[in-house]
Amino acid sequence: MINLMNPEEIKKNAEFLIDFLPGMEIPGSVNFRCKYKQMVKLAKCFGINDPIYVGSEESGIIACPAFANAFSAKLYINMARIIFEQDGKKRGLVLDFKKLLHAGNEYDWDGCVKIKPGDILMIKGKIGKVWVNEDMRLFGEIFQTIRNQDGELVCKVKSLATIAPGGY
Amino acid sequence: MVKIEDIKIGQVIRNEFNQITKELIKEYSKVGGFAKLASNPIHEKEEFAKKAGHKGIIAHGLFSFGFITKLLDDFIEKEKYGKIIKVGVEMRHPVRCEDLLITEAIVKKKEGKRVYFDIVQKTITKIHIEKDGKIVQFYEASEKGYISKKDYTKGYIKKKEVDKGTLYYRERINSPGYAIIELFN
Repeated sequence: MINLMNPEEIKKNAEFLIDFLPGMEIPGSVNFRCKYKQMVKLAKCFGINDPIYVGSEESGIIACPAFANAFSAKLYINMARIIFEQDGKKRGLVLDFKKLLHAGNEYDWDGCVKIKPGDILMIKGKIGKVWVNEDMRLFGEIFQTIRNQDGELVCKVKSLATIAPGGY
Repeated sequence: MVKIEDIKIGQVIRNEFNQITKELIKEYSKVGGFAKLASNPIHEKEEFAKKAGHKGIIAHGLFSFGFITKLLDDFIEKEKYGKIIKVGVEMRHPVRCEDLLITEAIVKKKEGKRVYFDIVQKTITKIHIEKDGKIVQFYEASEKGYISKKDYTKGYIKKKEVDKGTLYYRERINSPGYAIIELFN
């Protein structure tokens, strides 16, 4: 991969982000409408054919557990819009989206309710620890809480995102 | 019926999926909720994936995650005998077209009605088939250069005899992780 940013700049940016980002609330929240068709199509990607997940709309399906994938990356849109100042210059969190990858994910459904078609989920999040590895790849934890239209907890998500050098 | 007393430490549950195609990766990218800004074209367009250094499109990291929840959900028969409490994985390597995806959950411990699993998700990537010192069949991994020197030095490259000759393939863990389920009985 061609990297146009010099090592000093990468190091400087990493040090700044490691100091600046942890604890930051991700601005705004995302509302996500759970559509019957999307719930069924996503379940089918994993070879799921149980009617409880892919039955007719009238039969009253629920979302398969993997449907959490459909909304757990939605808040990234808000993250992409974060603009802040570094050394007096405005910058975005991710400078090159091709260098952004998902490195890990944890879903916690303890005490959560099921998702049904028509539910509207509200997603809020904040940034946890941020660090770099020996190859100057940047890693950051993102904590999300997802509730439905009645305020009931649907899922808690802890994601790990990584950006290759030159992408931050 | 799945009951806590029937679960043994070290017990393994497993599934395999061998239908990973470009079309499925694209379909997942479409319905997985990654539209607009959160979308990454490395999951859909060859040229973007190559520019990003991936040599070909890769599945979204969360794609393979779905097979872990499916494995656990099948085990408890869609919440007939329990519920999934937590699942976490580290995404070490991408999943690609033609990969065989093997997901295993190994019982690590039991506490009350909860069962704790280690998750091991690995991919088998066919490289080529050799016969009498000549390559008689190429797969996408060899054509696009997915195999690296590291794969050899780390011992990921293996071979086995098949009908057409000797199949060389890469076997590596793409997502190690953990899971907790809670049984009703």
